[in-house]
Amino acid sequence: QPPRSCEDYWGEWKHCRGLRHAFHHYYAHGELPDCGRWREDYEACRAWERDRAAAAQVPAPLLACPGLCRPGLLGQKPRSRGVWKLRKSPPPDWYLPLD
Amino acid sequence: YRLFPDRKKKPQSFLVRSLFTFHNKCQLMLRLTLETNPYARLLLEALKQSGCTVFNDRHFSCENCDGCVSGGFDAATSQIVLCQNNIRQQSHMNRVVTHELIHAFDHCRAHVDWFKNVKHLACSEIRAANLSGDCTLMNEIARFKFGLKGHHQTCVRDRAIRSILAVRKVSKEAAEKAVDEVFDACFNDLEPFGRIPHSKADAKRAYRDFQNRDRYNANL
Repeated sequence: QPPRSCEDYWGEWKHCRGLRHAFHHYYAHGELPDCGRWREDYEACRAWERDRAAAAQVPAPLLACPGLCRPGLLGQKPRSRGVWKLRKSPPPDWYLPLD
Repeated sequence: YRLFPDRKKKPQSFLVRSLFTFHNKCQLMLRLTLETNPYARLLLEALKQSGCTVFNDRHFSCENCDGCVSGGFDAATSQIVLCQNNIRQQSHMNRVVTHELIHAFDHCRAHVDWFKNVKHLACSEIRAANLSGDCTLMNEIARFKFGLKGHHQTCVRDRAIRSILAVRKVSKEAAEKAVDEVFDACFNDLEPFGRIPHSKADAKRAYRDFQNRDRYNANL
């Protein structure tokens, strides 16, 4: 099944087009947001739901970069991997009692 | 770490601590944040999934601090320090806890060399300033820093440099150089939020996405 329910894509698209979000995006990135991707993903999700019998595969665009993706969204490799090495297990002294 | 003078001292007696109202207020505000604030709840969940469950009494400490600093993350003891004498409002507590939990999250998921590698410290500070709500327009206006187009990035950069200078004996140029070198990579690393949360509603959306990660990963 797709990573989000179809209603979520619709909700994200509506939110993306709102004035508040446009303002915040301009404040953070210096440009207005491009919300087309959410709408395309919503359409792809609905199409998948309609044709579920015919195609069991979730369409690739929904998996590749769901919605307005930036690295780090939903498990994609964060770019800060170039800065530090990721751990394979948590730090050993996390639970040690304080003296 | 001259701004945290209480770190090395023995804790005061129980009676003194319970009568000292700043300490009680700090504890109460902290509890409220951890239980209700969506930023903090998402980070606690993310830490738990990374293997670092956070316990209130072990991983948080309300103390007096010097200067205007509001909190810090002590990697040596894996503890978040909250400055009870400088945090007066719930909204401030929410922000500080989110900020420090982001440092804790980075400590938990990566080999961050807090003490010797300025670029690692810079990266974590950039992420914390970016994602904790430190740099909202309202907060910046309250600091008399005005700007609109892309000002969030200017704010993140400046606050990261300030934070580095507060805890390390490095020159301003070295701090600026480190921040500039890692800015692009670290500003765009939005783990665990997946977006820059500009409000609690954004944080709730991010929390929902985080909880749906299993659904996303099942497709891969």
